[in-house]
Amino acid sequence: MPISEQTRDGHPLALLMGGFTIFEIAELKDALLHALHMAPDTLEIDLSGVEELDTSGVQVLLLLKQEAARLQKSVHYSRHSPAVLAVIDLLNLAGTLGDPVLMPNGS
Amino acid sequence: MARDALVQESRELLAAMENALLEIEAEGVNAEAVNAIFRAAHTIKGSAGLFAFNLIVSFTHIVESVLDRVRNNELTVDDAMLSLLLNCGDYIGALVDAIEHKRENDEPNIARRTELENALNAYLEPPATTVTVTAAEAEESPVEVETGHRVGSDNWHLSLRFLPDVLRNGLDPIPFLHYLAALGRIVYLHTLTDAMPVAELMDAESCYLGFEIDFQTEADRKTIEGVFEFVRDDAHIRILPPHSKIDEYIGLINTMPDPGRLGEILVAGGALTQHELEQVLSEQQEKAIGQKPIGALLVEHQVVPEAVVTAALSRQKQHEDKKAHEQKFIKVEVSKLDALIDLVGELVIAGAAATVVAQRKKDSTFEEASQTISTLVEHIRDAALTLRMVPIGEVFQRFPRVVRDISRELGKEIELVVTGADTELDKSMVEKLSDPLMHIVRNAMDHGIEATDARVVAGKSPGGTLRLNAYHESGSVVIEVSDDGRGLNRERILSKAIERGLVSPDQILTESEIYRLIFEAGFSTAEQVTNLSGRGVGMDVVKKNIESLRGDVEILSVEGQGTTVRIRLPLTLAIIDGFQVMVSDAVFVIPLEMVIECVDLSSHEARHNIVKLRGEPLPFVRLRELFELPLLQHSERESLVVVQYGQQRAGLVVDRLLGEFQAVIKPLGELFQNTKTLSGSTILGDGRVALILDVAHLIQQASHLPTHLPASKTAGLLSNQK
Amino acid sequence: MGKTILIVDDSFSMRQTVGIALKSAGYDVVEASDGKDALSKLDGRKYNLIISDVNMPNMDGISFVKAAKLLPNYKFTPIIMLTTEGDETKKQEGKAAGVRAWVLKPFQPPVLLDAVAKLIMP
Repeated sequence: MPISEQTRDGHPLALLMGGFTIFEIAELKDALLHALHMAPDTLEIDLSGVEELDTSGVQVLLLLKQEAARLQKSVHYSRHSPAVLAVIDLLNLAGTLGDPVLMPNGS
Repeated sequence: MARDALVQESRELLAAMENALLEIEAEGVNAEAVNAIFRAAHTIKGSAGLFAFNLIVSFTHIVESVLDRVRNNELTVDDAMLSLLLNCGDYIGALVDAIEHKRENDEPNIARRTELENALNAYLEPPATTVTVTAAEAEESPVEVETGHRVGSDNWHLSLRFLPDVLRNGLDPIPFLHYLAALGRIVYLHTLTDAMPVAELMDAESCYLGFEIDFQTEADRKTIEGVFEFVRDDAHIRILPPHSKIDEYIGLINTMPDPGRLGEILVAGGALTQHELEQVLSEQQEKAIGQKPIGALLVEHQVVPEAVVTAALSRQKQHEDKKAHEQKFIKVEVSKLDALIDLVGELVIAGAAATVVAQRKKDSTFEEASQTISTLVEHIRDAALTLRMVPIGEVFQRFPRVVRDISRELGKEIELVVTGADTELDKSMVEKLSDPLMHIVRNAMDHGIEATDARVVAGKSPGGTLRLNAYHESGSVVIEVSDDGRGLNRERILSKAIERGLVSPDQILTESEIYRLIFEAGFSTAEQVTNLSGRGVGMDVVKKNIESLRGDVEILSVEGQGTTVRIRLPLTLAIIDGFQVMVSDAVFVIPLEMVIECVDLSSHEARHNIVKLRGEPLPFVRLRELFELPLLQHSERESLVVVQYGQQRAGLVVDRLLGEFQAVIKPLGELFQNTKTLSGSTILGDGRVALILDVAHLIQQASHLPTHLPASKTAGLLSNQK
Repeated sequence: MGKTILIVDDSFSMRQTVGIALKSAGYDVVEASDGKDALSKLDGRKYNLIISDVNMPNMDGISFVKAAKLLPNYKFTPIIMLTTEGDETKKQEGKAAGVRAWVLKPFQPPVLLDAVAKLIMP
């Protein structure tokens, strides 16, 4: 799973691509935590490229929120892909992982 | 219907259990027999559970628990346990009887049950407590009074906690939840993240999540549990059905590190109302202050439906196992079989009628066609009758247990040898044979076989042998009960019979006539004196039962060596091959297999009802005299039909011989009920009624046995007796 | 995104039946005829799920699973083992190797599709 890090609107942006599952999770956890630690106050994570999200991926998304709170920073998830939306919807995590969740029309 | 099936299945299983127990007793413990016993108890419990027959469920549960320990080699089977298990089998049998009579909620014998349960529990430490829970289930109302209400929510509540390794095992909770969602509607789902550690301690490949789900579905518990089948080892799963008891929620909340939190979740999902939550929490507190833990008990309670599901599953599997058998056997209601045989009987009569018509018309093609049909009908008749045939082993299988129990009771060593168990006879006879055989066996053990020391003194082996044997002989089924005991004492029987007024002192009787006396009603009432019927159990009843089956009993005995009681029964009750004879204008039918030959009476020397046939004297009866029929004018030559029953022969004198005929036996009307020389009636091809002769009785009549006094005289004797 | 399933079974008819059922449910299918064949097909491809028979020539299902679990790309891949009644010891062995999902043969295709649906998203 490649992450490309850029900035958007003045804050760092991590762009996730492909699978966000147990096969990649150890690596992703470290990379994303690192990005959070590096970020001055806010980290945006763009989920538009996520093709697959499993429980381990969800846990890391939750962990980042928790860690951000501990560090008195914030993590924003944006542009949730359909695969991500489906899981967030199923697990009723829109409140926690939603941020500006763009619910698909009519749902 | 289902109840009948349960009763029948349980009885089969109990029989299998008993056989296995006796096998262990005879040959020592083997794993297969122990498994058979366990399976029997287990399956009975499972099936009864499906019907919520709780008396039997709770009892078999304890039996099963003991057996389970035996299976796991934690307990060894000794003599005491064998006896206990046999007795438990009997008690389960009594419970099954109660189910059959729709009295499944009445304990057959509470004292007996308690005694057995105590004996069983002695093997179980700690005792099997689940029983209490099941019993509580049986009487729900008192429990409910104590624990208050059920929650209002009509949703299922699922509580899932995944273990850390679940993801590494290739299992992702999300697809399971997705699958669950497809079975109904997830009303509310809360993802629990409390277990998640801080970032440094978190292993991204471990799972820390749990889920509380309110779920609406038409699916049953089994289906919902099935969703999590693969993940069962990697998660704690708790499923509360709709309207579960408050206590179950208490149990649920108790498992959480932060009960208040879970309470909120439950309220958020609608599983509990705020009011219910308060109630739960307060009740939970009360219970924490040392009241008896009903909550815990009732949460275990939740195990009950699960057990039922498991039972249902194992039942289903068993059903599959049986499939192979089902290709060989179909269970058919006896009444359907009887209806078929009735119809075949009608067909036989109609066929005979057609043959008569064909003969009268003298149309050879018609005759030929009706002949072909008759042959086929005969085959159908035979095939239909074999449907009713069952092996006598069904009766014999009771006896290993009976012999075991009685020999223990009597302190005698008696071995049972069973042969010919696969000999077949009519199903209705099998049912009626059981009691007479039981009498005979009991008598043989009581009075035939001597006590061990008496045997040794007599130079015999210390252990006695009892034999049950069955075989076919010329259209009859013969069943023998033999012992190698002391045999019958002729003098004592005779003097007893004279004393009882059954015979007069100057009568000269053959040996078999003397033995036959013990079947007389007046004889059996003797107390403790005779060798054979000391208990007064009616050997006369035995004889009556056998005769009601158109059978006969005889006794062979050698003093000092043993006694054989031989029962002879017709193969079937429904249809016989008959031989028609005519006396005056009446037609009689003699069972063909009993006819030896027919001779012209006038060509033989006959005097005082004895005819000399090839130098041998043969007693005979004139049917005309016997039935007081008028002598018709056209003086025909009389014929003598020689009949044989058992070892005895006699002649029947008739006017004309008409030939062979298939007779469908109809019961005699009230009028003839007491006529011993007739066994039934039949309808002839031309619609007339013919009477079927009871050859066994006629032979005795011909031989002038004193034991066959007219019924009225016998009755007189009986009343004198008192 | 299409999910790909690897079917390992020495019975051609079994692979075919299972294959048709899975394809009709929208999955992509790769077939292997035994454990050895399957291992060679693990090279470079990622499967979302593996369905494997137990008793097969060359390499049996349990050995195959053990080998697959050593490969980084497959160590967490969900596996369904097709088993028959008498395979209890095999089942224990499989469980130790990390197999959790068992489908008893003979089965109707919907049973297998249900098992798949519990393990991976469509």
